[in-house]
Amino acid sequence: MASMTRRTFVASGTAGLAGILASRVAPAVGQTREISYLCWNNFAPASDKKLGEIAQRFTKDTGIKIKIDHISHMGPQQTKYASEVQTQAGHDLVEMRMHFPWLYEPQLVDISDVVGELEKKYGKAIPSAYECGHVNGVWRAVPQYHGMFVATYREDLFKKASLKVPDTWEDLYVVGKELKKMGNPVGIPISQNYDSISTAGPVLWSFGGMEVDKDGKTVRINSPATVQTVEWYKRMFRDCMEPEVLSWSDASNNESIQQGKAGWIHNPVSAYIVAKQRKLVTADGINHHRSLAGPHGRHETDTPRFIGIWKFSKNIEPAKEWIRYLLGKREVYDEYIMSGDAFNLPAYEKLQDHPVLRTDAKYVALKGEGVQYHAYGWPAPGSEKVQLITNTYLLPNMLAKAVTGTSTKDAIAWAENEMRKILAG
Amino acid sequence: MAIGTLPVTATARGSLRTRVRELLDREAILGPLFITPALILILLLVAYPFCMALYFALSNAFIGRPSTFIGIRNFVRLWDSDAFRQTFQNSFVFTASAVAIKVVLGISLALLLNQQLWFKRVIRGAVLLPWVIPTALSTLGWWWMFNSLYSVVNWTGISLGLMSPPGPNWLGQRYYAMTAVVLVNVWRGLPFFAITILAGLVSIPQELYEAAEADGAGALARFWYVTLPMLKGVLAIVVLFSTIFTFSDFNIVYILTHGGPINATHLFATLARQVGIDSGRIGEGAAISLYLFPLLALIVFAQLRYVRNQAN
Repeated sequence: MASMTRRTFVASGTAGLAGILASRVAPAVGQTREISYLCWNNFAPASDKKLGEIAQRFTKDTGIKIKIDHISHMGPQQTKYASEVQTQAGHDLVEMRMHFPWLYEPQLVDISDVVGELEKKYGKAIPSAYECGHVNGVWRAVPQYHGMFVATYREDLFKKASLKVPDTWEDLYVVGKELKKMGNPVGIPISQNYDSISTAGPVLWSFGGMEVDKDGKTVRINSPATVQTVEWYKRMFRDCMEPEVLSWSDASNNESIQQGKAGWIHNPVSAYIVAKQRKLVTADGINHHRSLAGPHGRHETDTPRFIGIWKFSKNIEPAKEWIRYLLGKREVYDEYIMSGDAFNLPAYEKLQDHPVLRTDAKYVALKGEGVQYHAYGWPAPGSEKVQLITNTYLLPNMLAKAVTGTSTKDAIAWAENEMRKILAG
Repeated sequence: MAIGTLPVTATARGSLRTRVRELLDREAILGPLFITPALILILLLVAYPFCMALYFALSNAFIGRPSTFIGIRNFVRLWDSDAFRQTFQNSFVFTASAVAIKVVLGISLALLLNQQLWFKRVIRGAVLLPWVIPTALSTLGWWWMFNSLYSVVNWTGISLGLMSPPGPNWLGQRYYAMTAVVLVNVWRGLPFFAITILAGLVSIPQELYEAAEADGAGALARFWYVTLPMLKGVLAIVVLFSTIFTFSDFNIVYILTHGGPINATHLFATLARQVGIDSGRIGEGAAISLYLFPLLALIVFAQLRYVRNQAN
């Protein structure tokens, strides 16, 4: 071993200190690596508990400490994200929903390498995850899981009244009339909430319509398909539903079927899962059936969830290690998915027939055979302008206008005009 | 040597203390000294965010992206949006009706609280409760009461035979929804009116009422010619504050209706959040928030001037 003189010790020490100060990063040796992860209160609470357990094992296996913070899924998280981005400080990793990677694109680390590894293992990310997470040729967030909308109905009531399980949106109108007479109306929100868009989108797509073309610039809402959609909604509102749907929040349709009122709703499986967990009397009667078809096929809204890493993070590599640990290890990913009780389904093609779907006979419809899943605004890319169309609820407001007295033509013309102004702005 | 220097140091210290005391005795120094901490807080927590908002409103700022100055383009373009025009109208309807109702009910409640009541202090304290409870929490209670599935309001109305089932669609029909948000705002803001007006009432000299009574003035005349003129100053201040707070209300609408149905209850603050935070367009969001700033500033100026003239 070479001896070190006092002079070389001082020189090398000073240089090292200068390096640390310049890079603002402590040397790897002796440095405690710690990352923070902001995620949402999952609809399946057991999933949050499992995430905590996995995080503890991660720390034990890798020596990287991880701090997980949970935040309410609707509302506060956007304020939190905005403040973290504006102040360039906060968590290293963030959970993201649907088009968030588009909204925060310039602030998110290119994470294509991690997605590439996962796709190699599990197959391609599902199309809706690609639409939302792959922004301008780059993966800005890693697909984590997804939850799709599904037809949810009171099987017991259907059997009692000998009603045929609908296969098309038109069939739903036929049984819906009977359900309303029975005091168990159809519950599709037509209000300023996201569930309203989650149903209006699939109905519009099934009739062959769209809001904006895939070029993201041409408004296509004024079409015969939209006329059919609006007319269908008008009939449904008049004959199968009650005016309460105009005031509903995201939770209202769940509560309506859980409390024994609604006979049919369009929702993720959370309505059933919560009824089952809370041992509600309606739980046994709730089931799901195949997604409804229109002249242009079966479409559903899908809400992929992602994990993104902020560019301002000083722990990008440890953050990537966490994603690899949670999603890249098959046994860990399976364990995480299983804890979500079919609310959190894997976001990769080869994992679609996941064992979680066999944990309850009522999850069969979630296989989604022959169903195309999309995010809001499809087929337009999730640009900030298309997201403004979504976030200002133009689609449900067009329908709300139509079902409350505005002519179909005027309601569509109003939506077209508003969408044009947004895209031109 | 130390013994020799001690008196000198003590004298120096003494003269310094005297000088400081002299300085502090001067109003020109003590005044600004007292104001400085508050001024720093105002600069940091009010002036800085306000200037930032002003800059955002005049720029094309988008969350996490570089922005450029675009002048008043946001303010002009907003007028094209149907949602904004609706919001503009809603804000005036909401504020005018809520403040008017609060004035009438506030005066009535204050007159009532000014009477000799049993448990006067307890009642006066209880009246303040709606104002003290966090708005988000109390509004959730109201949301529950107006909720289509659980509405206790409709249940009571139907049980008493006052409503025909299923009862009003409180949050789903535009006029009912506006009524609901105004009602909750009145419920929340009424204590502020009542207690402030009560303070004004208490300060009216009793001799004025006695003189009016001696001149044969009835209860209505006493109210009209004595109480109301004497309350003008207090009312002007209360109305000023309430107008500003009501215009900028957020919680009530955000929780009860989310701005719906079809934007019928959106206020500037809720629309600003929808555009600025949910959709990332901070510039437009800030412009929505500040749209009424010039008008509100004028109202403040006019009302404060009126109050000052009254005082003189």
